[in-house]
Amino acid sequence: MDSLRNSIKRLNPLSASDSDFFESMPFWLPATALVLLFVYGAIGWNVIISFTGWSGLGQPDYTNFTLEMYRQMPSDPNFMASLRNTVALLVAFTGVSLVVGLGLALLVDRKIRFESTFRTIYLLPMALSFVVTAIFWSWMYASNGLIDTMLNGIGLGWLSQDWLGDPRFKLAAVIVALIWQFSGYCMIVYLAGLRSIPNDHYEAARIDGASTLKLYWRIIIPQLRSSTVGATVVLMVFALKAFDFIYVMFGTNPGRSADILAVTMYREAFSSSEWAYGAAIAVVLFALALTIIGPYAYTQYKRGAL
Amino acid sequence: MLQATGAVGLAAFAGCLGGGSEAGNLDELLEDDPDEFEALEIGHWWTAGGEEAAFEALIEGFEAEYPDIEVDSSPSPGGAGSALETDIKNRVVDQNPPSTFQIWPGQALTEYTDEDLLYDIDGHVWNDEMREAYLDGPIDVSRPDGEFVAVPINIHRLNNLFYNVDVVEDADVDPESLESPSDLLEAMEAVDDAGFVGMAQQTQSAWSTMQLWAQVLLGEYGADVYDSFIEGDLEAVESEIRASLELVVEYSEYFNEDASSMNDWDDASDYINTGDAAFFHQGDWAAGQYEGEDDFEYGEDWDHVPFPGTDGMYALNMDSFVFPKHNPSPNATVRFLQYAGTTDAQERFNPHKGSIPPRTDVSDEAFTPFLQDQMADFEASTEQPPSVTHGLAVAPSIQTDVEGAFANFIDNWDVDETYDDLVSSFD
Repeated sequence: MDSLRNSIKRLNPLSASDSDFFESMPFWLPATALVLLFVYGAIGWNVIISFTGWSGLGQPDYTNFTLEMYRQMPSDPNFMASLRNTVALLVAFTGVSLVVGLGLALLVDRKIRFESTFRTIYLLPMALSFVVTAIFWSWMYASNGLIDTMLNGIGLGWLSQDWLGDPRFKLAAVIVALIWQFSGYCMIVYLAGLRSIPNDHYEAARIDGASTLKLYWRIIIPQLRSSTVGATVVLMVFALKAFDFIYVMFGTNPGRSADILAVTMYREAFSSSEWAYGAAIAVVLFALALTIIGPYAYTQYKRGAL
Repeated sequence: MLQATGAVGLAAFAGCLGGGSEAGNLDELLEDDPDEFEALEIGHWWTAGGEEAAFEALIEGFEAEYPDIEVDSSPSPGGAGSALETDIKNRVVDQNPPSTFQIWPGQALTEYTDEDLLYDIDGHVWNDEMREAYLDGPIDVSRPDGEFVAVPINIHRLNNLFYNVDVVEDADVDPESLESPSDLLEAMEAVDDAGFVGMAQQTQSAWSTMQLWAQVLLGEYGADVYDSFIEGDLEAVESEIRASLELVVEYSEYFNEDASSMNDWDDASDYINTGDAAFFHQGDWAAGQYEGEDDFEYGEDWDHVPFPGTDGMYALNMDSFVFPKHNPSPNATVRFLQYAGTTDAQERFNPHKGSIPPRTDVSDEAFTPFLQDQMADFEASTEQPPSVTHGLAVAPSIQTDVEGAFANFIDNWDVDETYDDLVSSFD
């Protein structure tokens, strides 16, 4: 009997791993099936809809596929404006949040008193929902709000602006609020990075006579690369999803100066019932997210971290 | 494995579809005396304050009339109705709508009628008695494609100009004497000179300014020009549109300074309560804010005139109920729609909502003095132009784009760009 089993194994070298595959099925299959269906299935279906030209409340016509929706995009000023804004938001928000977060982390790391209190204070905004932060930043930006009152108080009243009404500042106002909300998160990521650098490095640099500035610039910050990459990916994905914030602040029609792709997508699909065009915008958004996450996932995979 | 999931996926998607009955017309569907009613599910967004009370009063009246029918309220609050719109559209596309739902009548319905998703309720709901009681404007928006598909439940007026009596007296302005939107601009200058805000307004979201512009166009150039606009013939009235936009830009000089950081109309309307601003344009729901204030009396402290130049008009913003196909409860739905068209229903609903009944034969006893005046104005009105901001006048995809044009307008106050955006909204 044993010899028979061995000979079968020899004939089919895969059978051992095969049995693993089947035996482990109950553990991974339900979750995998649900993810495939509801995440990848929905994404796939969305891509298909973007090729159909479906609009109105009837049923989509799956017999006739066209690229018309994608062809419309470059000549649609609203789409182009929201694409531009999305990219601007992505770059500015991510860049500044990282710099502010790093700065905070370096300060908090200097063995200050009440360290954990500061940490909590800086991290707290992230725990709030976009709905809450959008409403109170609206108050902050109001013409008699905190920001203008503060500027007036310190004699810089001439700097106060119509932050949410002037197209030059609208998007910037949104970005600043988002930075406020997420730089605490960057701080935590950097702080973890800083804590994992062995003390020897600091001591060795000191013995070699490095100044504080040089110490950080040459020794510490270069070692924070993986923290930076990790935080960047997370921030960028949040930036693409800033929908809630803008929706609460301005509604579905924020105007070209603050429109982003996610809001345009919602408006096209659910206000105008231009389902196919909305789906096409969703595909563009998805592609943007993939270009951000793809290289990261690939390098992580190469390094064996996935 | 993948194929199996694919098959499951398709089955699941297909499962979302279907449901409810699919008869071509109501005669085949309805029973005169059914043994049992299915539960009546009503989609709506009346979930707070007076709106909630109005809806509850309506349901109470219906349940008194039809104790056998169970009512299942299905609210989707938020986003000034956009949450409900999203829910309803999804369910209608899945062919799984509620029994009936709240929707703007008029062109907002064309999305549904284009795909033949609503039953013609002529005869079953609309009859001669009902037609008799309705003015032309509300009747027209109940049959956007010629067939009656909606029952209006309320009317909000949009061509209102509210004012603080003390402030206009201080500024020596008589609102009754203003004959056109241009006159109003001069009045605002006088108010400004007297040290008050000319017009309270919110400009963080676009709809209030879109409403205001529509009244300026109506008041300055009349209903025919307005009709050309909503019919998409913008070239014929280009100079009027540009001039009215120009006028709104001039108005904006007299808005409160924090207009652009105000998202809610009621924040702006507070300027009237506090006596900081003279004028306020908004739908007549704003009156509820003033009526609720202590020591702030209609006629003495605050008052109302039709928006200058729109005397004799009653600019309509309405809600209605419809009979969607694939209906889960046809026999209950038809009875609810019949009830919504009665004086009893409209008399219960509207005083809480702060609106007036679309029927002209409803007793005005239960209404506030302000609404009684509005009802008298409505009955005497010769024209009832439908609202472009609230979906009555143009199809939803156009309405979204027009609102987009105004979202840019309140950013840059650029008349040329806004005109071009308006033109492309109708493409």
